[in-house]
Amino acid sequence: MVGRPLEEPELIRRAQRGDTHAYEELVHAYQGIAFRTAYVIARNAADAEEAAQDGFIKAWRALGRFREGAPFRPWLLRIVANEASNRRRSAGRRASLALRAAAEGPSGGAAPSPEAALLSAEQRTALLAAVETLPEEQRDVVALRYFLGLSEAEVAETLAIPQGTVKSRTARALERLRESYD
Amino acid sequence: MTELERALVALGEGLEYPGAPDVWAQVEPRLRRRRFWPAVVVAAAVLAVGIAFAVPPARSAILKFFHIGSVSVEQVQTLPPAQTRPFSTGLGPKRPQPTVQLPARLTATAYYARPGLHAALLRYRGKQVLYAELRGDQMGFAKKFVGPTTHIEEARLGEFGMFLSGAPHVLMWEQGNVQTRLAGNVLIWLDRGVTYRLEGDLDKRQMLALAGQITR
Repeated sequence: MVGRPLEEPELIRRAQRGDTHAYEELVHAYQGIAFRTAYVIARNAADAEEAAQDGFIKAWRALGRFREGAPFRPWLLRIVANEASNRRRSAGRRASLALRAAAEGPSGGAAPSPEAALLSAEQRTALLAAVETLPEEQRDVVALRYFLGLSEAEVAETLAIPQGTVKSRTARALERLRESYD
Repeated sequence: MTELERALVALGEGLEYPGAPDVWAQVEPRLRRRRFWPAVVVAAAVLAVGIAFAVPPARSAILKFFHIGSVSVEQVQTLPPAQTRPFSTGLGPKRPQPTVQLPARLTATAYYARPGLHAALLRYRGKQVLYAELRGDQMGFAKKFVGPTTHIEEARLGEFGMFLSGAPHVLMWEQGNVQTRLAGNVLIWLDRGVTYRLEGDLDKRQMLALAGQITR
C-alpha cells in the first residue's frame, strides 16, 4: 500500500528526530529554489552548488532550533543565502560576474507570461545591465523579490534584514532602474 | 505592481540558470560521514596516543604537526606508501565551466569541483600546475605526510603560508576510502577562510609570483 505523501510540518518533525528520509523529501522540495538563491547571490555555479549543499547540511544540524509552525522555506534560504554571501565575500572578484540572459523565453520550456511577452530582447538586455550596476545590497533584494518571486517577508528573512529595509532597498533600486528603463 | 516591476519579473523568467544539481546526492553522504567520522577520529587518536606512549621509538616518529586551514601537515620519519599519480586524481570529472576565477593571462586546461574543493590545471612557464581552493568547514580535508628531507619554510602570503619543496611528500585524503599520491613542490596559504594550494615543478619565487597573480 502506498501511503499519502507527508505534509511539510510532519516531514520537519520527523527530520528533527533524525529521519534522513524525511529530510530527503525536504531537500528535493527546496533544492531548486535553494540553488537559484545561492546563484543570484554568489554569481558562480560551482559556488552556488556548494553553498546549497553546505546550507542543507547546516540546516540539518540546526533543525533542532527550528520553531514549529514557522515557514520553513525562508528559514532554509537564510542559511543558504548566508553561505552564498560568505563565498561571494571571500571570492571578491566573482561578485562582478553577470547573469546571462537566455536567448529565448523562460527556462524550462514554459509558455512566456504576458509580462515576458511584452519585454523585447533589447529591453531585457538593457534592464539586466541596469540591475547589474545596482549596489550589491539592492541587487540582492531585486533578484530575490522579482527574479525568484519571494515575498517581501521572505526576502527579509532570507537576507536577515527587517522588512522595512527590504521596502527601502526595493524603492531605491526601482528608482535607479526607472531612469534606464523609461 | 508597476510596469517596471512586471518587466523585472519578466526578466527573471528569461534568465538562464546553470542546471540545478542533485543536491541530495551530495548532501546524503556528508550526513552519513558526519555521523561516522567522529567515532573513527576519536578511535584513531586514542590508538595513536596509545602507541606513542607504549612504544618508545614511536615517540619520535612524529616530528612536527600543524594545520593550514583545511590542510594538516605531519612531518614523519618514514612516509606512508604512495605512488606518483596524475594531478587530477580524486578531483572528479572535468567541469565544462570555470570553477575558479583566474586572471585572463593564465590558461586553464581543465576545471574541477567537488564538495569543499574547486581546482584548475594550469600551464605556467611551460609546466603543469594544479591550483586548488578549499572552502568551508573542511578541517582535515587533506593531510600531507612530509619526510625529514622535505624542506618546509614559511611563505609570506595571506594570513599564513607555507612552501614545501625538495623530496616529494605524500598527499592523503578520504574519498570513500583513503587515497594517496606523491606530491612535489607545494605552496599553501590561508586567506579569509579559504585555503589555497599550488602544486607543480616551480621554485618558491615562481610559486609566489603565480600566487600573486591569482589572488591579488
